[in-house]
Formats: sequence, C-alpha cells, structure tokens
Amino acid sequence: MLNKLARWSRIKSPWILHLNSGACNACDIEIIAALTPRFDVERFGILLKATPRHADVIIATGPATRQMRDRIIRIYDQVPDPKFVIAVGACAMSGCVYRGAYNIMGGIDQVIPVNMYVPGCPARPDAIIDGVVKLLGKL
Amino acid sequence: MTDAELIEKLKADLGDKVAEIANPARRRLFLKVAPSDIIAVTTRLHDAYGVVFLSTISGVDNGETFEIVYHFSTPETDFNLRTEIPRADPHLASITPVIPGAILYERELQDMFGMIVDGLPDPRPLVLPDDWPAENYPLRKDWKHTRPEEVIPGGKS
Amino acid sequence: MSFQVPIGPQHPALKEPISLRMTVEGEVITDVDIRLGYNHRGLEKLAEEKNWIQNIYLVERICGICSHSHATCYVQGVEKLMELAPPRRGLYIRYLVSELERIHSHLLWLGVAGHEAGFDSFFMYTWRDREIVMDLLEMISGNRVHYAINTIGGVRRDLDEGQKAKILEGMVTLRKRSEYYFHIGANEPSFVGRIAGVGLLPKDKVVALCAVGPTARASGWARDVRKEDPYAVYGELDFEVATADTCDVLGRVVVRVKELLESYKLCEQMVRNLPAGDIAVKAPRKVKPGEVVSRYEAPRGENIHYIKANGTDKPERLKVRAPTLANYPATVEMLRKGFIADIPLIFAAIDPCICCAERAVTLVKAGSGEESVVRMSDLRRQAIARHQNAPVKRNAVWPL
Repeated sequence: MLNKLARWSRIKSPWILHLNSGACNACDIEIIAALTPRFDVERFGILLKATPRHADVIIATGPATRQMRDRIIRIYDQVPDPKFVIAVGACAMSGCVYRGAYNIMGGIDQVIPVNMYVPGCPARPDAIIDGVVKLLGKL
Repeated sequence: MTDAELIEKLKADLGDKVAEIANPARRRLFLKVAPSDIIAVTTRLHDAYGVVFLSTISGVDNGETFEIVYHFSTPETDFNLRTEIPRADPHLASITPVIPGAILYERELQDMFGMIVDGLPDPRPLVLPDDWPAENYPLRKDWKHTRPEEVIPGGKS
Repeated sequence: MSFQVPIGPQHPALKEPISLRMTVEGEVITDVDIRLGYNHRGLEKLAEEKNWIQNIYLVERICGICSHSHATCYVQGVEKLMELAPPRRGLYIRYLVSELERIHSHLLWLGVAGHEAGFDSFFMYTWRDREIVMDLLEMISGNRVHYAINTIGGVRRDLDEGQKAKILEGMVTLRKRSEYYFHIGANEPSFVGRIAGVGLLPKDKVVALCAVGPTARASGWARDVRKEDPYAVYGELDFEVATADTCDVLGRVVVRVKELLESYKLCEQMVRNLPAGDIAVKAPRKVKPGEVVSRYEAPRGENIHYIKANGTDKPERLKVRAPTLANYPATVEMLRKGFIADIPLIFAAIDPCICCAERAVTLVKAGSGEESVVRMSDLRRQAIARHQNAPVKRNAVWPL
C-alpha cells in the first residue's frame, strides 16, 4: 500500500534538477523553454528545483569537464534515492564536438550512471518532455 | 583621421619604439614593438590617442618565440600591438597599471602558455582545473593530449 | 564580522562557468573573487586540429544563445583571409539571422531579469513571445538553436516569398507585444523601484575595466561595433545605438528594450531590401598564411576572433573572446558595495545566462568554517522580502 503510494507520487510529480556540467547553454535554454507557456511541463507536475536535495530526476547537459567532475559526483550523491539521470543532448551523451579535448572527460556517463539519453544538438523541448515521460513509464 | 594619416602621426610620435606599422585592411593597424617598450607604448596610446579599450590579448606559439597580440580599439580604428618574447625566458610586463581590464587576459596567458607576467596584481590560475598537473601548458604547440580510456556503460568497450 | 560566500560553479558560455567568492560584512559585499574554469573545454586547442569547415560547427557550439554570433564572426574572418566576397543576398540572410538571434537573446534576458526581480509573469510573457522568434529561426534554418546557416562564402539556405511574409508578420506581432512591455514598465513602480539603483557602474569604471555591450551602453558609453566598425551590410542600414545613462540594472533593461525595437526595424529593412542572386560562392580548401581580427556585435557585446593561418587547411591559432568574459571585471565592480540579495539580479544583468543563476550557494562562516547551504531562489526570496518593506523609490521613473 505504502509502496503503491510512493510509486504513484513519484510518477505524478517528478521534481527535476538541472545540472549543467560545461554545456554550451543551448540544451539549457531548451529545458527552460519547456517550462514556459508554449510547452508548460508544470501541467504534468514537473517542477524545476534548485537544490539536489529536493530532486528526483537529474537532467544533465553538457560534456563533463575535468573541473566539474568531482562536483557532479557530489551533486549526484546529494540527490535522495531513488534517483534517475537523464542525459540531454549530444554533449551529455558522448562529448559531441568537444570529444577529445583535454579538459573533457567524455559524456556524463563517464562520471555518473545514466538512465535515459535524449539525443539532439540541442534536444528540442518536446524531445526532453518525451524523455521524462518515457522514464516515468518505466517506473 | 584616416589610417594612413594616423600611421604617419604614430611614426613621428613614437619614433624607434615601433619597429613596423602594417595596415593590412581598413581599420586594422598592426604595430610591432619590443617587449621592453610595451608599457611605454601602451601608456602613450592611452594618454594621447584615446586608446582606452582593450578587446583581448592573444598569444601564439611560434616555436622559438611566443607572439603576443594586444587588440585595442577606438571609435576611429583598431590598434593591434604585437610583441615577441623568447620561449626560453618568457617574461612579459603587465599592462594592468594602464588598463586594469587586462587582468583576466594576462592570467589566461599564464595558464595557457606558461608565460610569466610580471607585476600582475593577482597571478593565481584562472581557467585550468584545480588538479591540473604543473608545467603543462595546453596551447603550446608541442603539448599533446592523450585521451583517457573511456568505458562504455553497459557492455561494449 | 565578515563572511565568505562562495557562489558555486556553473556558468554556460565559453570559459565562463564561474565561481564567485564574496566577502560580506553583514549584508554588504566588500570583496569579490572570481574563479573560472568549470566550463573550460579546451576549444582553442581543439580548433587547431580541425579544418576550416569543421571549425564553423565547433565555434557555433561555444554558446547556445549567441551561436550565430560566433559562427558569423569566425566565418567573416576566414572570408577575409581567403579574399572571398560573399554574394549580397547571402550576406543579407546571414545578418537577418543575426538580428533575429539578438531579438531572441534580449527577450530571453528580459524574462530572466523579470524573474530575478521577482516579476515572474513578465518572465512568462517574454518567453511566450520568444517562441515567435524561435519559430521564425526554425523556419529559416531548420533548427531552433544551432542554426548552422553559415558557410564560408555565404549561407546554406535561401529565403522564399512565403518566408519573407512570415518574418514581416512576426515582427508586427513582436512590436505590438514590446509596446505592451513598455506599458508594464511604466505602470509597475515596484519593478522599476527594484531594479533602479542596483549594480551601479559609473562610466569611468566601464572604460577602465573594458566592459562591452549593453553593460557599457547602459552607463552612457555608446560603443557598438555595428556602428563604429560597420561590417558587411550594416553600413547601408538605418539604425541607432541605444544608450542609457542611469548606470544601473534599470539602464540595462532600457538599453535592451530599445535594442529590440532597433532589431525589429533592421529585420524589416533587410527582408524588404533582400537583393536577388546567389546565396554563396565556392570557397577554397586552404588559406594563404595571414592573420585577421574579426569583430562582431553579439547580443551581449563585442565578440572578437583573432585567426592566424599558416597555409594549410587548419588554422594556426584561433583566439576567441566572448563578451561575457570581458564583462567579468565590471561585474566584480558592480557587486562591490552591493547587497547579498542583489547578487542574482546584478549577475543576471550582464546577461551571463539563466542556468548559472539557479545554483547552490554555500555560506561559510569565516571564524568556525561552519557551512550552510543557501539557494539562489532563497536569496531571491530574501531580496523580495527586503524590498517589500522598503518604500518604493519614488524618484525612479521608467524612462521610455
């Protein structure tokens, strides 16, 4: 009964944390655009949270830079279980054009485990919403 | 004032401090100066020609020497001050006493090329990560990066 | 007693994810220290390993908001090195996209400024209108953010009559909406009161610290690369440089709103006068040795690329200076003597970008090293609370 309640509440209102680990801002503005009137994810109960301690889902953008690596792990550790990571955009998946640069570790999956990948450079807001919805469908 | 008139005026004014003035395109002046004269020339340009705005400082690795280009601009024209310092002894005087806004660019030169900018008010590293190994300067041509091994999560490697 | 407040490492543009460490006395900031490098990706090294065409796509991904600025700045430099003259139709389309990008960037910024000042409905309004520009850009280039419309020697996609009509229609709607924002500004004394007098930056400091773009123009320093060094088509277009002399965040809002109107005007001129002909010429693969300084007025200020070629198909050196980097010394100056509660507003006022503003902030007590975590949104709430009790600044007026 309690499990059922927990599962229901998780699906109905995922709170997301937006983690930028060296992105070019394109995916970031598309995530913000998903919150604004055209796409309006708040109608699904999806809320953008500022602190990892409140979040269920990390939406990570950008290749993982060397300087950010430890900070990404720290932020990931602060998110309460169960936690999910969505890598948004080509950079977060593999490093995109920055793959091979000296300050880049590669995709975000080189640093923390990733549950879902949303491709695109940048991913469109519709694709990001679709990614979140697909993730919730798996729960 | 056109570029040609300005070049005449600069030549008369700065004399042998400027080795060469090139004007490859409209509004683009390239002045070559010795590293020891950089502060004197910058001060003179700042005081007498209204060159107050520094766009950026570029460093180039030319093998034996490092080339440094200061990009200034005024509403009339763009001044690019070029100087070269030897790679073996890469010391450069800071222009922050004349133009305080130069500090970030000079700190960047220190990080990326390993030049030593003398007289910088705040010489800490600026752009490279905290755990960056010392004596590694990424924009030097002989510095090569080897990509760390990547692990593909969930199988194939 | 002084505290240290580190503001944590996230910032989106070129090398500019930033860590600000502020020393505060009570609520007043006494010193600010900047640490960059969290977003440093090693782009300049990477550019030396890619060829001229590949680099267009690389520099486009420096920044997602002014992607076209970097690509255009790079491309116009390389064209000078190759001694190419792109066809006029190609140039008009290229700079039409750059004005549309300026509109989208300024609308985005106005929203962020509204959000940081606690005026969230303004944020939603401007972002709703921004979608009009995004649709136009998608129609022209096929993508919402990275347009990839530039190529060396011109542009990659042509405009047809239907698209021209749609752009003109979009400008009419946007102009009507912008007039509504003036109405809001003029009739909302609390908004004007919140942003007036915050983040003061006198003109002599602007000059000394080499600030660029709307930050400099809001302090009465009328410098705009489009006017003083007119590149490509700007010499034949009619527009004015927007300035304000209040030197604060209010001035920066006013400058950006005025620039929006100028950009609508420029877009209409360019669409109406679009010349006929080709859109691109063929470019050689290699470049003669040489160097070029390419300047471009990005939405945030002057963007400068220094390109040096060595005769091969790869650049010898590509130096990129994005406008936000030039504005950091000025930001430090603006934050000094300001209040903690004003940090998000002042920092947003140079238009770094939105995602940096919603990050974790750690308050460290200097004596004991005891840490407590505060969020930007809490700071925003504190700021709103502080200003709720303050009397409205009666002398602050909306200058438009």
